[in-house]
Amino acid sequence: MNKLGIFALFSALSLSACQPEQPETIRTGLVYCAEGPPENFNPQRVTSGTTIDIVSQQLYDRLLDIDANTGNLLPALATAWQRSADGMTYDFTLRQDVAFHHTHFFKPTRPLVADDIVFTFNRIMDPTHPYHFLGGGIYPYFQSVDWANLVNKVTAIAEDKVRFELNRPDSSFLANLATDFAPVLSAEYAASLLAEGQPQRLDTQPIGTGPFHFKEYQKDVLVRLYRHPTYWRGPAAMEQLVFDIVPNNARRMAKLLTHECDIVAFPRLAELSLITERPDVKVQESTNMNVGFWAFNTKKSPFDQVKVRQALALAINQSAILQAVYFNQATAAKGILPPTSWAFDQQLPAANYDPAQARALLAEVGLSQGFSMDIWAMPVQRLYNPNALKMAELIQADLAQIGVTANIVSYEWNTFRRKLTDGEHDSVLIGWAADNADPDNFFRPLLSCAAADSGSNRAQWCDPVFDQLLHQALSTGEQQQRLGYYITAQQYLHQQKPLVAIAHSQRFQAINVNVEGVSVNPYGGIALFGARRITP
Amino acid sequence: MAKFRLYLDENNRSPLAQLWREFSRQHSALFGLILFSTFLSLSVLAPFITPHDPYLQADNLLLLAPSWTEQGLVQYPFGTDDLGRDLLSRMLKGTTYTFGLALLTVLASLLAGLALGALAGMSRGVKSSFFNHLLDLILTIPSLLLAIIIVAVLGPGLENTAWAVILALLPQFVHGIRNAIAEQLKQDYVTAYRLDGANNWQVLTRLIIPNIWEKITVLSSMALSTAILDIAALGFLGLGAQAPIAEWGAMISDSLDIIYVAPVSVAIPGLLIFAAVLSVNLVGDGLKVAIQKRRES
Amino acid sequence: MIIFLLRRLFLLGTVLLGLSIFAFSLGYLFPGDPLQNFTGLRYIDSAQREQLIQAYQLDQSYTTQYVAFLTRVLQGDWGLSFSSQQPLLNEIWQVLPATLELTTYALLLSFFIGVPLGILAAMKPNHLFCKSISGMALVGYSLPIFWWALLLIMLFSVTLGWLPSGGRLGVLYEIPTLTGFMLVDILLSNTHYQDAALMDAFRHLILPTLVLATYPTTVMIRFVRDAMLDVWEQNYIKTAKAKGLNRLQVLYRHGLRNALLPVIRQIGLQFSTLITLAMLTEVIFSWPGIGRWLIDSIYQRNFPAIQAGLMIISTLVITINMLTEIMHTFFNPLARKY
Repeated sequence: MNKLGIFALFSALSLSACQPEQPETIRTGLVYCAEGPPENFNPQRVTSGTTIDIVSQQLYDRLLDIDANTGNLLPALATAWQRSADGMTYDFTLRQDVAFHHTHFFKPTRPLVADDIVFTFNRIMDPTHPYHFLGGGIYPYFQSVDWANLVNKVTAIAEDKVRFELNRPDSSFLANLATDFAPVLSAEYAASLLAEGQPQRLDTQPIGTGPFHFKEYQKDVLVRLYRHPTYWRGPAAMEQLVFDIVPNNARRMAKLLTHECDIVAFPRLAELSLITERPDVKVQESTNMNVGFWAFNTKKSPFDQVKVRQALALAINQSAILQAVYFNQATAAKGILPPTSWAFDQQLPAANYDPAQARALLAEVGLSQGFSMDIWAMPVQRLYNPNALKMAELIQADLAQIGVTANIVSYEWNTFRRKLTDGEHDSVLIGWAADNADPDNFFRPLLSCAAADSGSNRAQWCDPVFDQLLHQALSTGEQQQRLGYYITAQQYLHQQKPLVAIAHSQRFQAINVNVEGVSVNPYGGIALFGARRITP
Repeated sequence: MAKFRLYLDENNRSPLAQLWREFSRQHSALFGLILFSTFLSLSVLAPFITPHDPYLQADNLLLLAPSWTEQGLVQYPFGTDDLGRDLLSRMLKGTTYTFGLALLTVLASLLAGLALGALAGMSRGVKSSFFNHLLDLILTIPSLLLAIIIVAVLGPGLENTAWAVILALLPQFVHGIRNAIAEQLKQDYVTAYRLDGANNWQVLTRLIIPNIWEKITVLSSMALSTAILDIAALGFLGLGAQAPIAEWGAMISDSLDIIYVAPVSVAIPGLLIFAAVLSVNLVGDGLKVAIQKRRES
Repeated sequence: MIIFLLRRLFLLGTVLLGLSIFAFSLGYLFPGDPLQNFTGLRYIDSAQREQLIQAYQLDQSYTTQYVAFLTRVLQGDWGLSFSSQQPLLNEIWQVLPATLELTTYALLLSFFIGVPLGILAAMKPNHLFCKSISGMALVGYSLPIFWWALLLIMLFSVTLGWLPSGGRLGVLYEIPTLTGFMLVDILLSNTHYQDAALMDAFRHLILPTLVLATYPTTVMIRFVRDAMLDVWEQNYIKTAKAKGLNRLQVLYRHGLRNALLPVIRQIGLQFSTLITLAMLTEVIFSWPGIGRWLIDSIYQRNFPAIQAGLMIISTLVITINMLTEIMHTFFNPLARKY
């Protein structure tokens, strides 16, 4: 067509593209390419790791933090805490002079006080709280751990002291406060919004105490944060932090290679070897407590029958999935708990692939002619499942072997999560990444009756036997006893099969070699506070 | 073959033979025709000649490199995709979906367009004029946009794509055929035939259709290239054929994920779409030129 | 001319009316609750429902409902988006300029490349250079543009690293949105990195514009070439040649003026093609325009947004076509027959 012109244009541009001098803005800013948009800016209201990665560690702090290496609790906004002898009362001493974000939409007049803690947690448990029903009164994580029944009262006993009174002892209570779902909000901001009649802005224009403050959110395009200059740990290294929302895996990869992104969430495992060959990009690997699984909607027929679920579990070829979807960069799952957890049951048998046995089980319940079902595959790449659609195709082919016709269903991520919570699915390929080191963090949010109501129990499974086991495990402080209950629970799950655990994956990050200080906690989202650019 | 001829007998041949003569003089058009016939036969024969089942997932042969590289296997000329499916078989199967389906939609749309166009062309008056202008305006909406609108209403899927493309192509057929008929109606031989007592139906079937078939062929070739591109584009956008159907456009969007590892799986379906559309366009262009030249001779 | 204008306006009115009826019926054609489809509210409690049914007159006859719908559309109340719960009209105003910007540049590019090449191709149809122009036009005409875009990204962004792979501007540049046209916005902004941002925006524009312009350029080449060849055969050209004018004079005084008139009409047609192809281009280059927005809405089953997007795009396409046709008629008395 007009080759000459194009080439002239390109050669001109290539000259300009190679300009050595990078503008100030580029050098002081960091771009993280995220795999999806955040649902909102309040981690209390979400379950998805996408939102947690973007919001939790960047905008907020928690009362406690988790040590990435040991899993122990560390002081954060609370400098000290005390548990009463009966395990029913916890007192926290707050850090002095913790400043809230000073932004174009809110100017705080006071530092963090006990009222902020009271406001934050009352919002979750008190139905008369003006903010409780803002997002429909749904707090999935807290509902899944039965927070409202666990905590009796949160009171400010001094300017810098806050007391939690429980209804029963709970060995996972402190761990829950340290999860990414438990940020501390500003009561002053909430009050001023209420006065303006704009309460919904609390979760869309967030104010926190974290290392970065909110600047703008262009829906499905980007989230822009700026450095919080008076952050209590000291100002972050980068002045600007942008989350570029790139749902397409190939495009995210392209952006990494063209240096449009500094950090890319979840590089595709197939491309890991390719990335490691490049001098300008490095791959960071970290262990992560997670599980990818295939959950059946046990409220729907025929998945309410144990034998059907067992048959489906027998029909799928786990090792083929591990190879094709995870490129063998993951551990084959035996149950929902990763082998690295202290409560893992060493006696669990490995997954069994036996189509003949599956057909026999189906015949026992009169389904020898097979049936038709939907497999919902999440549209985005997640840690625990790098490619659900591909996994669905594999399972579809496996199921055809036992006479089951599977349709693959997928929606855009936000729509998908909404419809899933409404329980419209037959079965779903999804997973879970732990928020703290406590094994309870796998069992209760995923499979308890409370979680079935709040929607994070994707199997909609509510079994009193199982719930009783979890309850018993929580009310004892004795680790050996807890282990016993959890082993029984895992054996019970293995037999009941409300879901088929598939794999425990490593977490990978592809990072520009010029960027350092990115830390990933095995129990939660990414933290970009320490990230900085180094000149090579 | 070189034989002395006293008279040029060219003009005494049948119109079809003349057309073929003019057509075959153009090398590009001939090349297009060969390509076109290849695609046509592939789309019919695809189920019988695929070396492997295009949907069979060979667990032990994931992401096999093409056979021209060292790691490739001769049994899998283009290698396999990330689920271990043979790419060559999928490409072949895709001919049926993309090319074959495009052909079917064009045929369906042509038949409907013929009926509506004849109705519109044979009628006259204000209604007809208004209808024509209306059609002109709808015609300005590109077929892909129309197809996207229709899929948006019907919902994604291969079947709905077919309906959408049929409907989207319809206006241009109705318009083209209506105009061709209107032009024919002005001819003296039509008037003469009418004076002989022929009714509308006889005029249409005996005089007009035989005289406009060339125009219809050209229209169809244009529609066919549009249909292929539209079906593939909808497949690519995820609005048409859904995975795992081996439609070329859907295959490209499927393989985007492995573009760095197996570029072949993106390159080849695109090349096939391109070749298919090119063959149709070459034939269409060749026909146009041939028709023009024949008229002139 | 006035009668012609009136007729056209009447036709335009009729089509827009038909379009609005179609858009209205979508509220019922789409799956789900018509009330949700019209309002865009995701959760409606029963008290609110009663009130909304009253306001939207959904308990009345279809005609009354339609009139209420039309009134709302004209007043700018287009309902909310399912996914963001923001007013749709606002969202559209945010994404539309991006598309218009891209299509305008592509249209200009196709015009300034297509017309000269078309003329060249027609001047000596049998010359090798001209044949290769025609050949390349045919190739461009047959390219699936989404694949073409991928090839260019792989080559110029990923392999060579010369150009960014998508988006409108490096995300670290913060340019306030005033007009929605990126280059204009950058010029209007008073940031210290204005020059760098301008250069960056320019680099982001190259690939999408090139991809988007490919198809219209080839159509333009073919169109201009055919028109020129046609004109070249006319008697007045032969007369002009016989008078002793040289090639350039004939070309300029008689050839171009007659051959380029239909190009005006062509521009209108190209615009609608561009809007459609822009959808594909925007999806591939993550260009935040209305095409990508509409495709996303289809993925999200965001029915109010689909409805609004269709209305705005169709209205735009039809109106622009009508305008260019009127312009064409204005310049070309021969087209004023009816």
